[in-house]
Amino acid sequence: MRTLLRASSILAFFAVSSLLAATAACRERPADGAVRGSVAEPSPSYRGLMAQQVPRRFRRSADFEPAPPAAETREGLVEPEGTHAFYWTRAEYTDNGRGWGRYGGRERRGSWTTDYPKADYQFLVGLKRLLRIDAYDGINPVSLADPDLRRYPMIYAVEVGHMDLTREEIHGLRDYLNAGGFLICDDFWGTREWDQFERNIRAVLPGRPIVELPLDHPLFSTYYQIDSIIQVPNEGNARAITLGYPGAHTYERDGYVPHVRGILDDHGRLMVVINWNTDLGDAWEWAEDPLYPLVYSTYAWKLAVNMIVYGMSH
Amino acid sequence: MHRLFELLFKYRPIVFEQGHFALGAPGALRAWLLGAGVVGAVAVATYTLARGKTRPVDRAVMAGLRLALLGVLVFCLLQPVLVISSVVPQQNFVGIVIDDSKSMELPDADGRPRSAFVQDALGSEQSKLIEDLSERFTLRFFRFSSSSSRIDGPSDLAYDGTHTHIGAALDAARQELSGVPLSGLILISDGADNATTPLTRDLVPLQAAGVPVFTVGVGDESVSPDIEMGRVELPRSILEGSELLVDVVVTQTGMGRRSVPLIVESDDRILAQEQVELGPDGQPVVARVPFQLDKAGPTRIRFRIPVQEGERVEQNNAREAQLQVLGEREKILYMEGEPRHELKFIRRAVEDDQNIQLVVLQRTAPGKFLRLDVDSASELVGGFPRTREELYRYRALVLGSIEASFFSHDQLQMMADFVSQRGGGLLMLGGRHAFAEGGWIGTPVEEVLPVVMEPPQDGPDEFLAEIRVAPTPAGLANAAVQLGAPPGEVAARWDSLPAVTTVNPISELRPGATELLKGTGEALAADQVVLAHQRYGRGKALALTVQDDWLWQMIPPVEDQSHETFWRQLMRWLVDGVPNEVRAAVAQEQVEQGEPTRVTAQVSDSAFIDVNDATVTARITTPSGMVEDTALTWVVQRDGEYGLDFTPSEEGEYRIDVAAERDGHVLGNDEIHLRAAPSDEEYFGAGRRTQLLERIADETGGRFYTPTTVSTLPDDISVTGAGVTLTEERDLWDMPALFLLMFMLMAAEWGYRRSKGLA
Repeated sequence: MRTLLRASSILAFFAVSSLLAATAACRERPADGAVRGSVAEPSPSYRGLMAQQVPRRFRRSADFEPAPPAAETREGLVEPEGTHAFYWTRAEYTDNGRGWGRYGGRERRGSWTTDYPKADYQFLVGLKRLLRIDAYDGINPVSLADPDLRRYPMIYAVEVGHMDLTREEIHGLRDYLNAGGFLICDDFWGTREWDQFERNIRAVLPGRPIVELPLDHPLFSTYYQIDSIIQVPNEGNARAITLGYPGAHTYERDGYVPHVRGILDDHGRLMVVINWNTDLGDAWEWAEDPLYPLVYSTYAWKLAVNMIVYGMSH
Repeated sequence: MHRLFELLFKYRPIVFEQGHFALGAPGALRAWLLGAGVVGAVAVATYTLARGKTRPVDRAVMAGLRLALLGVLVFCLLQPVLVISSVVPQQNFVGIVIDDSKSMELPDADGRPRSAFVQDALGSEQSKLIEDLSERFTLRFFRFSSSSSRIDGPSDLAYDGTHTHIGAALDAARQELSGVPLSGLILISDGADNATTPLTRDLVPLQAAGVPVFTVGVGDESVSPDIEMGRVELPRSILEGSELLVDVVVTQTGMGRRSVPLIVESDDRILAQEQVELGPDGQPVVARVPFQLDKAGPTRIRFRIPVQEGERVEQNNAREAQLQVLGEREKILYMEGEPRHELKFIRRAVEDDQNIQLVVLQRTAPGKFLRLDVDSASELVGGFPRTREELYRYRALVLGSIEASFFSHDQLQMMADFVSQRGGGLLMLGGRHAFAEGGWIGTPVEEVLPVVMEPPQDGPDEFLAEIRVAPTPAGLANAAVQLGAPPGEVAARWDSLPAVTTVNPISELRPGATELLKGTGEALAADQVVLAHQRYGRGKALALTVQDDWLWQMIPPVEDQSHETFWRQLMRWLVDGVPNEVRAAVAQEQVEQGEPTRVTAQVSDSAFIDVNDATVTARITTPSGMVEDTALTWVVQRDGEYGLDFTPSEEGEYRIDVAAERDGHVLGNDEIHLRAAPSDEEYFGAGRRTQLLERIADETGGRFYTPTTVSTLPDDISVTGAGVTLTEERDLWDMPALFLLMFMLMAAEWGYRRSKGLA
């Protein structure tokens, strides 16, 4: 009997524990977010006027809420609601779990969040000073599987060497690019990450070759004249160079030579720009750091402005 | 009716119309009669005032009747006459002008051709009409179709003319008989006039010369059963690959409501085929046929409905029209004020179009521009054109989101002149710096635009509306907004496109503008004008008030071509009909061999200012390959216009290359084509046009007859007063109507007395 009671109490304990755990899990589940690997539903906010007017809020998970723009970087700024000609849109994608992915130094949240959101805010500040463009000042991440992706004809994907796209993301990105979308890839290094990226992008655009973009390509002269491809180091390497540490270098892993490659459509227009063995995102993110060499930030902005002007005109 | 009139009043109405009334009694007799009348009246009045068993009303009625009788009697005693001028027999001429066109051979309901009347009434000297006319007049016969000539008699008629130019024929006969006393012209025709000049122009000389025209209408007023295709209008030229949307009017009489195929073909190649539901008898229906022309060069298009069983006229089931399909690459300048996705997607939409070159000038930063698809390194290197010559190189101008203050006043005026003087197309796109939000109110461009701009109320960023776009009825009839959908599915195709946004609230059109697309949305107080156009001077202006129609490309399925089709057709429409420095034209695109026509050329310089001192030459290549250079001379009345009268001497296709130069510099050239061939025009509108013939008679003082009433014509023409005439007085006192009136008055008085017991 005592054994029976002990067994019953053990069973009751497990049942209550399971119930509490399940309740807690439900409470933690994002209210309106997408579950990784599934097709994201259109944001409720879009049911109103339009997604462009009020960009979707960050909705990866309930406990991952970036600070609003006013508190983060643009103190006091009241962003008017309205349609802008340009939204700097960051691609949310599924990764293989080996990338950096972080937010504000806290726990890892996927490769796509690398440098996010500081790099985005700082990039937009520079962009609007260099280019006469009606750009939205806030962040705007969108999943590759989200139908709303097609409302933003230019997207930026970072750490693409850790991409592990789901079927929905592959289809979403393929339709996006074939409809006229423009993808900028950045911050992945070495052979191993290239192979991972190439596997994914070939699934998206099978049969389309990846080509090296020569310096006489319009991409390098659309706004700024760029005469050489510079390897932009990450923050740590850049500081080491500035501080003159012995053995300081710009490369990571075996990515010694920077490349700007592309995938072209049937008319020879760029659909995808691939910045390999370089880290433009860190150059924007740490541009204010006195230890981050200005030459890299300048180059990163020049190339970015060229990509944007090209992507909005070709 | 006329016979009854003649029985009562002794003469036909025309005698009363032509003559004037007079009294024939001598003055003394008149006075005596007047006195007698007064005395009689007093006597009657006295008699009516006599008291008896009659009531006053009875006496008044009887006195009135007696007075009326007395009045008629006095009228007769005054010897009323009609003074009329009648021709002196054999002293005057009459011209008989006979229609010699093909339509006179069309059979009427009785199976006999219209020309049978000519043979019956005028074919032999023994015919009654000829006899009556010959007794009084010397007759002269004329034939006419597209031209007219003197003939000996009806036996010279062939009825093979391919046009009917009535006015010119009447005027030619008048001129030929101007040296002789002319009593009038007799026109025998079905009235199927197809001259391009207004009839009034030829009737005025007849009126001035006092020559009455007596018209004899032959043929049935309605040709039935029959199907007839109305005139088909095509643009003079079109870009290769453009979609044409042509309205074809089809009318049936006596065929019943049925569905018939309408076939569009060129060089034996079928371009399109549509089923047409015919309307009720005599009511035209409009069939809308879309088709594309993919081969550059002069193109002849044939629209036809296969001949249906039992049709009286087969030739009027088809129409032909000529147009020039241009293989040129038309340059359009697109000025954009900032980086926008709109630019990218418009460029992509028209990139495959070999006939459109979209030159882009995009401001990327203050004073910094991106130039795309320019022809040379120097093109637009200084930014937006500063001279007319530089701007007028383009055939159309697209303004994106760019504020008016970016331009100098001269540049703004130049843009307005670009449309009104150069004849270019202007398209303004929606955006935060477009329309009123871009400060375009009060600029010279404002009145060029087809929409009314209201000043922004609360700043440029306040208004934003999401709208769904739908075609208006005018839009459904315009090729530019068909989206490549079949005619019945255009509205549904538009409905399938995603909503777009606008930041420019525009709900009002300018007078004369046409709305092609409209937008509806919850945030709008009134429907948004999305796409509108208007003619302005020589050119046209369009307004597209949405700012992100690239969503029509990004959101629908990848294979959807709506956005590309919309922009290609819109751009092609924008440059459609934009003139060159030299614009040649021919009065008719098809004439008969030997029929004169006129070639004209409008010549201007590179700033599109008309030039009057140019040397303009037409190089005419005949169908047989002969080449002849002929000079065009300046038409003094109109600046920049040069003309040449030309008569094709052989059948076939003529090519006319017109070149203009001044001081050794070539101003420009143009190419036109003229076809010399027999025409089927006679078979269209082939019913007798009674109204036209009546109008000719009325306006010249003649009368209209049909074959059944024509027997009185010789008498009528004798009293028109034209020619050598004698003035004669015709008695009216013995008109049967007067005696009948007196008898009726007497009978009325007697009847009244009887009814009142007074007799």
